[in-house]
Amino acid sequence: MSLLQVDNVSRQFGSLVAVQGVSMSVAAGELRAVIGPNGAGKTTLFNLISGFFPPTSGRMTFDGRDVTRLPPHRRVAIGIARTFQITEVFPDLTVAENLRIAVEAAAGYRLRPWLSQRAAREVRDRVDALLELGSLGAKADRPIAELPHGDQRATEIMMALALRPRLLLLDEPTAGMGDQETYDITRLVRRLHQDRELSIVLIEHDMRVIFHLADRILVLAEGKVLAEGTPAEIAADERVQAAYLGKAA
Amino acid sequence: MKALAGRYVDLAIWLGLATLPYWIGAAGGYTSLGTRVVVMALAATALNFLLGFTGVLSFGHAAYFGLGAYGAGMTIKYLVPSTGLGILVGVAAGTAAAAIVGALIARLRGVYFAMVTIAFGQVFYFIAFRWNAVTGGDDGLSGWRRLPIDLGFGSIDILGNDQAFYYLTLAGFAVAVAVMAALLRSPFGRSLLAIRENERRARFLGIPVEQHIWLSFVVSCFFVSLAGALYALLNNFADPHDLRWDQSGDFVIMAVLGGMRTFWGPLVGAAIFVVLQDYLSTLTDNWMSLIGVFFILVVMFFPRGVLGMLRRRKATS
Amino acid sequence: MTQLFLFNVFNGLIIGAFYALMALGLSLILNLSGVINFAHGGFLAVGGYLAYTLMPFIGFWGALAVAPLLTALIGLLVEFVLIRRLYGRDPLYSLLLTFGLAFILEDGTRYIWGAATVPFDIPDWMTTALSDQFFFLTGYRLFMVLLVFAAVAALFLLLNKTRLGLRIRAGSGDLETVSALGVNVRVLRNLNFGLGIYMAGLAGVLAAGMLGLQPTIGSALIMPSFIAIIVGGLGSLPGTLLGGLLIGVASGVVTVFFPSASEAVIYVMMGVVLLVRPRGLLGEEGRVQ
Repeated sequence: MSLLQVDNVSRQFGSLVAVQGVSMSVAAGELRAVIGPNGAGKTTLFNLISGFFPPTSGRMTFDGRDVTRLPPHRRVAIGIARTFQITEVFPDLTVAENLRIAVEAAAGYRLRPWLSQRAAREVRDRVDALLELGSLGAKADRPIAELPHGDQRATEIMMALALRPRLLLLDEPTAGMGDQETYDITRLVRRLHQDRELSIVLIEHDMRVIFHLADRILVLAEGKVLAEGTPAEIAADERVQAAYLGKAA
Repeated sequence: MKALAGRYVDLAIWLGLATLPYWIGAAGGYTSLGTRVVVMALAATALNFLLGFTGVLSFGHAAYFGLGAYGAGMTIKYLVPSTGLGILVGVAAGTAAAAIVGALIARLRGVYFAMVTIAFGQVFYFIAFRWNAVTGGDDGLSGWRRLPIDLGFGSIDILGNDQAFYYLTLAGFAVAVAVMAALLRSPFGRSLLAIRENERRARFLGIPVEQHIWLSFVVSCFFVSLAGALYALLNNFADPHDLRWDQSGDFVIMAVLGGMRTFWGPLVGAAIFVVLQDYLSTLTDNWMSLIGVFFILVVMFFPRGVLGMLRRRKATS
Repeated sequence: MTQLFLFNVFNGLIIGAFYALMALGLSLILNLSGVINFAHGGFLAVGGYLAYTLMPFIGFWGALAVAPLLTALIGLLVEFVLIRRLYGRDPLYSLLLTFGLAFILEDGTRYIWGAATVPFDIPDWMTTALSDQFFFLTGYRLFMVLLVFAAVAALFLLLNKTRLGLRIRAGSGDLETVSALGVNVRVLRNLNFGLGIYMAGLAGVLAAGMLGLQPTIGSALIMPSFIAIIVGGLGSLPGTLLGGLLIGVASGVVTVFFPSASEAVIYVMMGVVLLVRPRGLLGEEGRVQ
């Protein structure tokens, strides 16, 4: 049973066709990697799935429900959460405050002018749990802008997790990171996938990360699907090697 | 430690305001100048709810301030001679207008939002200016005055007694400020902060940004129109100038001058600005130029505001 | 009735041409530098008063040629000393700065030239009506409209055919790229600001000939210019031109039927545009957000 179904989706910006007739089916519990050279339309595809803008044509369903034109906040409500290629957090606030906003939004408290003692305690507990999961406990009260990039990224992923998503979209989570940070994030993603059986779609450039994590890989080039398959199949695919791996190496 | 220091600051501010009529004379002022500071501080704090804590640039708040003023004045003059009802109608008029305008502009951002708020702000100025027979046009709405507040068992004379009116204003200020502070500490306030900090992230946490900006705009204008109503009562007069673009600019400069990232900043800014304006206008006819120069100096040299700078200095020392 | 109608439509066209001239200058500055120049009306007044002062010495035509240039020079100076320090900061600050400038310019003109309206003499032959039937069609009014259109045509020619113009247009779309191509962005913004202010100054001289001069003339004309930009669409100069003419003519037509609503109608138009098409008639998608 597929959780996310993308059917023949296209998106045009003026005369530029960023994504053209892309279809993809992500099963519940699957970890899907999306790869492709720069400008292949990976981030545009993410923006379409998360509702940043609607597709020019095509259709998307999530858990059997048509989400093609649903605004972002409604998609979050039914379980689609994302991170961004350039980390998007609340820079002036502390790590704990960042998480707290996410937790309260997820709990449906965003309009509440006050919280009961019990609700406030639940929020606190949830924030603490996320801090621990992301190994951020020691940095909870530091303004996030002061922290290294890896910690900011981890916080962003925890904020997405705070929304209790059923599908997590990660846009190049290891971009611009050193080896240790890359390793930490990779381990975190694998834990989320294996221990929590979370469905994840991941854009990534680092081939080590992809072949280590992905169940299936979708290869995009010039806005179209070039190939799709298991890591072994993709590694053996000549077109992919010619169009992408060859170029990257 | 930090919270404790904050509590001392709060205490000092409330003490100062509560005793103001007893020391302002010695400081060279007069009670109704104090009232004006409190009214303007209320307006600037309300604007800053939007400006500093939601990150939305409104340059048209004078419109709602003026609607509060005219609403109160016209009610007392034409409908019912009741101070309380005047305030109520003024606030209702300002808030209703804000709800409509806010719905039109909540989708806009940045400079564009600012420009549209300025333009909409002038609508009400033109109405007041043109609708001579009712609003008094350019001369303003006069021929009415605030009336004693009837409490059933007795009444408070706020007309003849400047001090009584000061405390009425302070009570309004205290309630409004307490409500805004509570809102900012609530999940709702944190959603607004999230929008200020990073709109895109907020949206993808499931916060419907437009709805929240609209709400913040309406809350802000609710309190601004309360300030406007109190201002008209203070002067026993509603001035079309209260609705004009330069009044909007004054509110913004008060917030910036005091420090728009701090809660008490607008109060500090309002106190400095009102006193300075009062002083300059006795000194020279060209005080408008001096205020203009003051705007430029603030922007160039104090962009973080007085409290913003103090906080920064403390953080670095 | 026809005559009255034509009178008001023509009047609206004149007013609209005015708004457009002001708004185009504002738009230029806004598009390239992200600054809402609230002092634009103040510069307009300065242009008018400078022409008034110069006229006894160099005559109407001389003043018409020189006053806008002097105004632009003041604009260049203001940009150089003050405004350029605020590029890249929250637009709040540049807006506050131009607010302050607007105060200074309005009060300064009042200080120098007085608060009362001063008459502004135009050549005699321009004040007579061109025909008895169309009494409203004086030479000056016709001249004004023609001059505004000539100025607008010259502006668009400049933007499309000269190197400076191409750079301004390219920079309004993507300043970083233009900067990376080796264009001196500081100079570009400075000249662009001067160009915008030149148009304000020109509008000032023309307005003075029709309305006479008083210190508040600028702040009365600036709001409709904002609305022209909003209606026409942010980021589009043709949109701004269209917006200006449209609101001018609309307020002219409404004057025929409901004189007291002539100002209200432009606000209503703004409301409708924001409701139906928030980016404005010819506005670029995504620019408002």
